[in-house]
Amino acid sequence: MAGPLPADAELARQILTDLRGPRVAAAFACGGLLALAGALMQTLFRNPLAEPYLLGVSGGAGLLALLGMAAGLAWPWVSLLAFAGSLIALGLAAAMGGRLLARDHTPLLLAGVMLAAGFGALIALVLSIAPAERLPGMLFFLMGDLAWAGNVPLLWGALLLGVAAALSLARRLDVLQLTPLKAASLGVAVAPTRWMLFGLAGAATSLVVAQAGTIGFVGLMVPHALRKLGFSGHRLLLPAAALAGGSLLVLADALARTVIEPRELPVGVLTALIGVPLMLWLLRKP
Amino acid sequence: MSLAAQQLRLRAGARILVDALDLSLEPGEVLGILGANGSGKSTLLAVLAGLGRPTHGEVTLDGRPVSALPALTRAQHIGLLPQGDDGGFLGSVADFVALGRFPFGGRADPLPQLRHWELADLAHRPLATLSGGERQRARLAQLALQQPRVALLDEPLTHLDPLHQSRLLDWVRAEADAGGSVALSLHDPSWAAHHCDRLLFLYGDGRWRIGTPAALLTPFALEGLYGAGTARMWRQGAIGEPV
Repeated sequence: MAGPLPADAELARQILTDLRGPRVAAAFACGGLLALAGALMQTLFRNPLAEPYLLGVSGGAGLLALLGMAAGLAWPWVSLLAFAGSLIALGLAAAMGGRLLARDHTPLLLAGVMLAAGFGALIALVLSIAPAERLPGMLFFLMGDLAWAGNVPLLWGALLLGVAAALSLARRLDVLQLTPLKAASLGVAVAPTRWMLFGLAGAATSLVVAQAGTIGFVGLMVPHALRKLGFSGHRLLLPAAALAGGSLLVLADALARTVIEPRELPVGVLTALIGVPLMLWLLRKP
Repeated sequence: MSLAAQQLRLRAGARILVDALDLSLEPGEVLGILGANGSGKSTLLAVLAGLGRPTHGEVTLDGRPVSALPALTRAQHIGLLPQGDDGGFLGSVADFVALGRFPFGGRADPLPQLRHWELADLAHRPLATLSGGERQRARLAQLALQQPRVALLDEPLTHLDPLHQSRLLDWVRAEADAGGSVALSLHDPSWAAHHCDRLLFLYGDGRWRIGTPAALLTPFALEGLYGAGTARMWRQGAIGEPV
């Protein structure tokens, strides 16, 4: 563009570069990380309905974040608490259910589901006794909200690193779809690879939760839908999940900001409203 | 390439399944493993493949302990067809079969194996849409693509119709003729009599016997292995008469 911009164009440019741009970038990275984590969890548990929050990550993060909010802490502290909460949940799940991961992933799965249920009850408890004026913020956290997701370089660094790390495992992950014994007979170290999946998916999910709360559905729906559409090899599935997850969340966030302007909806409401009908339609396909 | 077990003891919980087993699988040999349900056939095959640890004893490949081999090296020499379904696999039959090449890093054309197991027409179908027998053929094709010098097959005849049992036989014989060795568990004394060079009987209580089919496959010995009543089936022709 040539010459100085008129005042309102300058304002528009500022909105674009300082507000909308970073938010769209953050939304894409969050969606990509969640879908990537979901794809990895589905391979870890050999179940196309596994998702990033399966091991209680969202519950642990939610509980500590809400406690922080109830105590009146500001956002960076709440974010750190959420991150700590998700790591605690992952640690508990690993400690209680991780022993036999070479042969059987069920104990880990059960530990995670139990933890999620326990955290859910504690979250309900916090919600029921928290000061009323803090409730909207808490609900936005629990439904996911990108208004807080400020650290774009961190999110994008994590996304690129996560996709690269996951891609380096891609061939092994293809084999890991077989029974553990068969995968081991083909030379895959089943337990170490599963722990790598656990760590990668857990780190990606924890990061997103600490930045944007617990945005639901992207991590379940995107990789599941891609698998249904025929992406079975991980070399295509993983980058495709990151791309599609990022795009979906950008779209959902744009709607969340605009549907009832000037107010905003939690983006998790939109991902579910877009995702549920799409999933139901996909399930009807053979 | 020879796989050997020395003084193996296998347990299931407190129960001793196999005790003091000495076994050597020679190049060109087909060994049949027979025993009642729960007698330790699958456990033994997994241990021979280096994927389970025996309570006592050791499995060696050309003198080196299999448990000490790097996983990929082991997978380049020893192949295992475990029981259990891989129906959770979401990709195509061709993708499934191609996974057999994983230990070698590169890609291999699965088409010859798809043809041998008569899966070429099904190559692009999702594995999950296949019948039980077709899936078993896909699992055999995957193992064949791995080209292991030592092939350990857990009840490979499961679900196979007679035509594809003969395809399995062709493959097993070709492996043995090329200097490979094959061990397979099975419940068909007739198949064992005709197509195995040696048999291993597992009694499930620590005892075992090893010998030629002619020496081991008598009605009396089968009753000892499977329990009372099996000799009656034998006489009535439900179990094929060994030659």
